[in-house]
Amino acid sequence: MTADTPIRILANASASRIIGRELTRRGFLSAAVAVGAVGALAACTPTSTGGSPQASGGPLENKLSIYTWGEYDAPEVMSAFTSELGPQIVIDSFSSNEELISKLVAAKGTSGYDIVVPTGTFIPQMVENGLLTKLNRDLIPNIEHMDSAFLGRDWDPNNDYSICKAWGTTGFVYDKSVITRELKTWNDFLDAAQNEASGKTSVLDDPGDITGIYFWANGIDWDTTDAGNLDAAEEYLVNTLAPHLAAFDSYPGGQSIPQATMTLMQVWNGDARIGILEGGEPDRWQWVLGAPVTEIWMDNWAIAAGAPNPEAAHAFINYVLTPENSLAELDYIGYHTGGTDIEQAANDAGFEMLDLVFFTPEQIATMRTGKVTEAQGRLVDIWNKMKAAAGA
Amino acid sequence: MRSPRFALAIPAWAWLVLFFVVPVGYVIWFSFGYKPGIFGTHANDVLSFDRYVEALSPTFFQTFLNTLWVGLAGTALCLLIAFPVVYWMAVKVSPSKRGLLIALVMIPFWTNFLVRTIGWQVILAPEGWLSTGLNTIGVLDGPLEILYTRTAVLIGVVYNYLPLMILPLFVAFDRVGAPLREASKDLGAGPIATLARVTIPLARPGIIAGVLLVFIPLMGDYITATVLGGAKGNMVGQLVASQFQTAQNWALGSAMAVLLMLVIALSVAIGAVILWILSLPFRSAHRLVLGPES
Repeated sequence: MTADTPIRILANASASRIIGRELTRRGFLSAAVAVGAVGALAACTPTSTGGSPQASGGPLENKLSIYTWGEYDAPEVMSAFTSELGPQIVIDSFSSNEELISKLVAAKGTSGYDIVVPTGTFIPQMVENGLLTKLNRDLIPNIEHMDSAFLGRDWDPNNDYSICKAWGTTGFVYDKSVITRELKTWNDFLDAAQNEASGKTSVLDDPGDITGIYFWANGIDWDTTDAGNLDAAEEYLVNTLAPHLAAFDSYPGGQSIPQATMTLMQVWNGDARIGILEGGEPDRWQWVLGAPVTEIWMDNWAIAAGAPNPEAAHAFINYVLTPENSLAELDYIGYHTGGTDIEQAANDAGFEMLDLVFFTPEQIATMRTGKVTEAQGRLVDIWNKMKAAAGA
Repeated sequence: MRSPRFALAIPAWAWLVLFFVVPVGYVIWFSFGYKPGIFGTHANDVLSFDRYVEALSPTFFQTFLNTLWVGLAGTALCLLIAFPVVYWMAVKVSPSKRGLLIALVMIPFWTNFLVRTIGWQVILAPEGWLSTGLNTIGVLDGPLEILYTRTAVLIGVVYNYLPLMILPLFVAFDRVGAPLREASKDLGAGPIATLARVTIPLARPGIIAGVLLVFIPLMGDYITATVLGGAKGNMVGQLVASQFQTAQNWALGSAMAVLLMLVIALSVAIGAVILWILSLPFRSAHRLVLGPES
């Protein structure tokens, strides 16, 4: 892990790698967050009565709290921000947009989080429900370093509330020492999950991505609201697939790949790259981009309504958008950050496994953007039932 | 002077009301409501038992059964492991060394619960050191397939809750004291009879306390199952958490939480009745009546 981690543990070389990884990983973070959630909510006091504090370029607060996806920020960028500009950063992580939204909804502007990182498709409803506060773009001049292809998307055409943080896609990784045939599509994934990889398969802990597997494999629109399609998806996922699943894990790159706990894992590309690089057996694992279609998602920097440290939040977003920091982030998280010419910079820097970070125009053409529809509640319902059925 | 005595109890009552009665009241109230839409968590304008019906549907009911199984098996294993250890600590070991042994039991307990559980994740991984070691000495052929099963959860909960069983048992055994055992021996009882007729009956409150201290929190455990259980070792705690955190369905989550409380209360009540029935013949046979002979 990084050299600047402040925790010091004496252990032998192989154990220290595992410990270091474990201490920062999703398991630790998300469980700690979940357990601490009630306390955290209770401890946070609203800094304003009604309305959200808007940054105006005043002095930075001495704290900054970020609620984001697991393993999603380069530690060296975080610590450089603190040493250059002052605010101490506290990071919490979530596994799905639903989890993020539920915490913001429950806290009603007193979550205590400054920066949140929702996926683009969820932004319109989050704005409508008053969960996000408008950005003061005067404080974020570094947006000029962003590739315009990743700005002004449907969900926020003027980037009033959000700026691209990273984008990626969904596929799967399998253990070639167990699955000897070649898997290429979501149908292959579903077939292997019920055969060679039965009981050793994990899927993302995210309602949209779990149900996506079925829709993508069967050529059904991912944003379908048709009751027949949803019923068929539920029937298949809950009764046929779920009994073969071993885990619902949004970050298999954290442990499942390095420790070879699973044989087949649905995974986001950057997490797959982290896991394969850390596992030390790159030839054992095969990454497959979901096919015939899969998703493209874009996560965005945004500021939560009622953020207690809005100045620091703007300063941070501005800070990470510089080309150097954007590249450092890409190196660590393994996702395209949307910076101008970053592919060239990453190649020049000699980063490994860039085929899991950058995709060809033909590949991008197979990727679909999700949509939050009235079926959202139903998808969450299916996801819940799958979890219960997998444990039966 | 009644009022000062009452005044002393006010903090305790306030604590109980504010942090137990009110929150549980809210949970019960929410459980009769419903989820109004994607961005609403609960609404109570229409009251019904529908959430309970939903929570008891076959899909979720299975998780309740699994949880009860882990709860009962985990508590039984804790008792089986703790009993001989505590007996040895309280009876066989010299009193000067007992403090040290208690400290050894307690020190791991002071380590963060989550870190200890994640430690087991590393140990039980199919290519972790335990798996490799068992393969090397030939006990096992092929990787250890325990992680992300109910067995892993069981191992985790026994490890995590064992100190909660050992401590009350130790206090109870320690309190029985050597003089009573010696008296029993003087009166002709062998070691087994002494254990069955003197030590265990006198230590019974400690045993019951240990069982309750382990069983109740274990049934609501969420961390161990999340870290070690994967999809197969699902427990109700996770269902409740996912209803609140991800599904944002506070009504259904509350109904599940209330059902979990009922399951726990019912299990404890059934256990108490069984214990009472079992002790009936024993009690009448050994009643000692002290008083003037008539």
